[in-house]
Amino acid sequence: MGFALTVLIAAPLVAGLSSLVVRTRRAMEWLQCAHAAVLLAMMSVVVMNVAEESVITVGILLRADALSAFMDLMLAFVGATGLLYALGYMGEEVTRGHVLHRHYKRFFCLFNLYLFAMLSAANVDNIALMWIAIEGSTLSAALLIGFEKTKAALEAGWKYIILSFVGIALALFGTVLVYYASEHVLGVSMEALSWKELYRIAPDLNPIALKLAFVFVLIGYGTKAGVAPMHTWLSEAHGEAPTPVSAMLSGLMLNLALYAVLRFKSIVDRTVGMDFTGPILLVLGLLSVTIAAIYLLVQRDYKRLFAYSSIEHVGIALVGFGIGGPLGVFGGLFHMLNHALAKSTVFYAAGMVMLRRGHKTIERVTGLVRQMPLVGGSMMLATLALAGMPPFGLFVSEVLITTEAYGQRPWVAYVFLCLLAVAFATLLYQVSRMAMGEPMEKDIPVTDRTNRFTTSALVANLAAMGYAGTHMPGFLRDLFIPMTRFFGVIVELP
Amino acid sequence: MGVIRPDIASQMVDLCAALLLLTCFAIVAQRRLSACVDLFALQSAFLAVTAALMAFLTGIHHIFIAALLTVIIKVIIIPRILKKVIKRLNVTRELVLNINIPPSLLICGALVILAFYITQPIISLGFLLTKDSLAISLAIVLIGFFTMIARKKAVTQVVGFLVMENGLFLGATAAAYGMPLIVELGVFFDVLVAGLIIGIFTHRLQDTFDSVDTSKLTELKE
Repeated sequence: MGFALTVLIAAPLVAGLSSLVVRTRRAMEWLQCAHAAVLLAMMSVVVMNVAEESVITVGILLRADALSAFMDLMLAFVGATGLLYALGYMGEEVTRGHVLHRHYKRFFCLFNLYLFAMLSAANVDNIALMWIAIEGSTLSAALLIGFEKTKAALEAGWKYIILSFVGIALALFGTVLVYYASEHVLGVSMEALSWKELYRIAPDLNPIALKLAFVFVLIGYGTKAGVAPMHTWLSEAHGEAPTPVSAMLSGLMLNLALYAVLRFKSIVDRTVGMDFTGPILLVLGLLSVTIAAIYLLVQRDYKRLFAYSSIEHVGIALVGFGIGGPLGVFGGLFHMLNHALAKSTVFYAAGMVMLRRGHKTIERVTGLVRQMPLVGGSMMLATLALAGMPPFGLFVSEVLITTEAYGQRPWVAYVFLCLLAVAFATLLYQVSRMAMGEPMEKDIPVTDRTNRFTTSALVANLAAMGYAGTHMPGFLRDLFIPMTRFFGVIVELP
Repeated sequence: MGVIRPDIASQMVDLCAALLLLTCFAIVAQRRLSACVDLFALQSAFLAVTAALMAFLTGIHHIFIAALLTVIIKVIIIPRILKKVIKRLNVTRELVLNINIPPSLLICGALVILAFYITQPIISLGFLLTKDSLAISLAIVLIGFFTMIARKKAVTQVVGFLVMENGLFLGATAAAYGMPLIVELGVFFDVLVAGLIIGIFTHRLQDTFDSVDTSKLTELKE
């Protein structure tokens, strides 16, 4: 099944390059819809196969195990709805004359290259090539964030570049250190960089080198994941980027950076035992949730509000992995999936609000549910999910993580619950101010053509979010079991 | 390796690495932007020499390719892009720094000690030839990082980032005898694209803000 994996990764590259030569908007719509369909189809083949046989390899470069397939699931699904949404959103900007057709093409080229970089990073069997792919996603994201070329967008783009370049350089140092330790065992070779080999020889690696490497990798990829205290770029970049890009940054890139940290964590755990990485992740996770909970209250810009909520959710997942244990690890992974769905939904809705109101100030937006039922309603639903209300998946994962924390370190559970309560209240307060009440402002109508795309993206995401919260389909269960085993715990799933 | 005695070879590598570290200090002490860029080019040249020396001494030939790419990308192309940016921006000297030069130099000295202290326990893992290079490369990474914090102008921040990259490359080549070729190619490609993107961004910043003093970037405050 190497074919499906190769196509899954190559499709965005091909689509990205062809976007540059496409002439009309209609042709672009066809191209990107076909691209989205290919992504979904190939992703389902890959996921089904990995669920059955556990690993797909292509040559020596690509290798998809359960964790990679799990990432593919998120990347391809949210990426596909993101493409649909971007067709609507950027198309509307073109219609209104805010964006030139030339830039519209460039946007889709970059957007697809960004997906390509992320999909490659999730599936390469090589720590250094993964670094290169993540660096590639940073570069394309920097251009996408500064895409609108306003003062604020350029400033956000610059801050993103500086911070994430520093981060990614430190991550490379960590990668070099792992290589330094592994080539001592395996000799100078490509194998010394392969995940598969690293898992095999992990117990023989030098523990001090690996500890040092983990610290560098955590700071490095943690910066990209928006983990506090390296989160300062995040709210600005998410706030100023074009909304489809914000959705991808929040829904996908944070998870991808987290994926990189987790891969290294599982190696370091095999070398030095669970007691080293767990507490570090736990402390950073709690710090992220704390900072996010405080800043959620003072936000006046709704896109930044959701950006801070992303910091909170990355923190929650880190707490889960930091606590460890079957429920913690399962909760963390489940949290990543549901957060990707809910956060991209909420950003899709926020982008529609921005198109129809023309600004991002929370106080000036009222009566969304009455004025635009679908957008306002889905924003409210996704916010309920993000705040951790049942029946959504984020509720399940938060309960699981708290339960595990209570069993192992009760104080963590108390602190965690208090922070969650604060974040719950502030987020709901802020969003309900926007969703409820009488509309005060005039609606700027969007074209039907735009609506067709954005509505289908919103509805698809909402459906997936609702489904993932209440069901555990067989293939997902078959992915979760090897994934949790991978972190040294065994989960019984019904 | 037969031509040169191992202890002399190891000292030659150490000498090159030390020169790299020395240019770091020169960059930190330099206020003139174009001189900073020149010093970065000089540092990259030293890096290329180190890599070529490593390739010669160990007989791992693909490191020669990396050395050549270092010359092309980091000694020629990127300094040229940066010079162009500086010319367009019309700034020659950086008058106000976040941290002044004398304390900066002291802090960098402390960073070097820190780097040696951190890497001490794992140095025994490496090869005899490049015993001290890992510590030096970490020191260069930390100094590059510090330069990004201490300076305000976009160009010097970029130089700081590139210095970090040089340190990383020294770490990979000297401490681990180079990553596999495909990895090195990828890293070079990324550095090149990063240089281009930074060039694009500084142009846009200049057009929009009439300045590349990053302390003027204050639109976005909580």
